[in-house]
Amino acid sequence: MAITEKEIKTLARLARLDFDDERCREFSGEFGEIIAFADRINAQVGGATSDIREVGGREIAYGDLRDDEVKESLLNEKVLSNVQSEGGFFPVRRVVK
Amino acid sequence: MKYELVSGFETHVELATATKIFCGCTTAFGGEPNTHCCPVCTGQPGALPVLNKKAVEFAIRAGLATHCEINTVTHLDRKNYCYPDLPKAYQISQFDKPLCEHGYVELESGKKIRILRIHIEEDAGKLVHERGFTLIDYNRGGVPLIEIVSEPDISSPEEAREYVEKLQLIMRYIGVSDCKMQEGSMRCDVNISLRPEGSEKLGTRTEIKNMNSIAHIEKAMRYEYGRQAEILSGGGKVEQATMRFDETTGETSVMRTKEDAQDYRYFPEPDILTVNIPQSEVDRIKNSLPELPLEKLRRYIDVLHLNAQNARLIYKYKAACDWFEEAVAAGASPKNTLNLIVGTVFSRLDTEEDKEKFDVGISGAQAAELIKLLDGGKINATLAQMTLAKMLETGDGVEKFISAEDMRGMDDGELTRLCKEAIAANPQAVADYKAGKEKAIFALYGYLKRATQGKADVQKATEIIKSLI
Ligand SMILES: [Zn+2]
Repeated sequence: MAITEKEIKTLARLARLDFDDERCREFSGEFGEIIAFADRINAQVGGATSDIREVGGREIAYGDLRDDEVKESLLNEKVLSNVQSEGGFFPVRRVVK
Repeated sequence: MKYELVSGFETHVELATATKIFCGCTTAFGGEPNTHCCPVCTGQPGALPVLNKKAVEFAIRAGLATHCEINTVTHLDRKNYCYPDLPKAYQISQFDKPLCEHGYVELESGKKIRILRIHIEEDAGKLVHERGFTLIDYNRGGVPLIEIVSEPDISSPEEAREYVEKLQLIMRYIGVSDCKMQEGSMRCDVNISLRPEGSEKLGTRTEIKNMNSIAHIEKAMRYEYGRQAEILSGGGKVEQATMRFDETTGETSVMRTKEDAQDYRYFPEPDILTVNIPQSEVDRIKNSLPELPLEKLRRYIDVLHLNAQNARLIYKYKAACDWFEEAVAAGASPKNTLNLIVGTVFSRLDTEEDKEKFDVGISGAQAAELIKLLDGGKINATLAQMTLAKMLETGDGVEKFISAEDMRGMDDGELTRLCKEAIAANPQAVADYKAGKEKAIFALYGYLKRATQGKADVQKATEIIKSLI
């Protein structure tokens, strides 16, 4: 499945990245390769989730899980640095009527 | 035709861990918006989730306390849906291998509400809808949840209430959640269908989403029962749908129907490895479970022979039970201890939260020193109550308030002597009493009260007086 320059532009806008036309062309090529790679994996495992689990089936011991210790969170300005914030919130277009 | 209500619950319970399920951000309730956030819980590209051990332990505790089997090899899955309360556009949850399966919650009648599964997942952020905007706060996003899915074994709003209350109590007893519905740390989705009485076949069900109070659950179930019964008795078909409950009108309404049901495209979460929990760890957790609420209630009533109504008042508060049991272990009688808790201690604890904490200033063992005096007839109930109130007020022991002087005249021999005095001093009252005037005995109480500054045990004195005249 090929990906068009227009789709790249939409994705870039959503991710707030600034791409000129040349970068867009480069990216549509790279995306094609990535998707082809994913298709190859899918062909190998037949798309079944249990098979995917087999492929990446590594385990972690219970004892190696993370201890429940509070770490400092990010500063609110940093968390919101990619958006035009409203009173500390992430604003999006209203999702309910 | 009469219809039977068939209901199953999906209950979300926030786990009382210090940190979120996949990052070290605090789970503290409240806080300025988006201040308990980091790259992981806001879904920044490249950030990797790391599973919180305590969340897994708490979920196992919850599973064992509801008699579930534990899947010691378990993994997480992605549930994909696009809504702004999830910054990653998927929720990390569990699909085909939940941590716990096949348990039950027992009701007081002995009926068991079967638990199909309990899985762990992350909570979503909170949305505030304002003018043309939806404002998002991700502080709650990533807080660990368990989802407890029951079988459709609930057959009335009353049973639903008891099921939710029992779940709440169990979770509080085992310390995995405060289950405060008003703060959202416990929320229920209620599935309801109807079938003709006696029929085995399940009808088409609707699901009422996100209920946050037991009273609302009962109301919504009654309304939905009526709505479905009307459709069915009119020869119609109930449409499978997700419903919303309106608190102000008390009515349910359709939010979305089966046609727009989402396909969550579950697949294994590649960022988190399969977890392998040693059986020894499960055993350790099992052995650390306290006596569960219903077992405790039954023991209080059947073994300790406590008044059922009072036992019911105390068993809801684990800390109060611990205090009670400490006093009893120190030699106080269960009956007097419970009466003093319900009568004197509880009256000083105004809120549910205060009762829950049961931070009363003296230990159960300290109280036992007072209660033993009451048990032995050295003081009467009124003095015990007054003294306990003072002890709670000051935190001081009983010796501060009751001296040997106070107890003089209160042992059986002394009381008998005083009763004889009272009889000798009130021949007319005694004659009246013998003639059938029950109330005449009050004159003798008056004498005893004056002689002992109100410390005489009236009940015991009555027995003695009756045996003497
Ligand atoms: Zn975080």
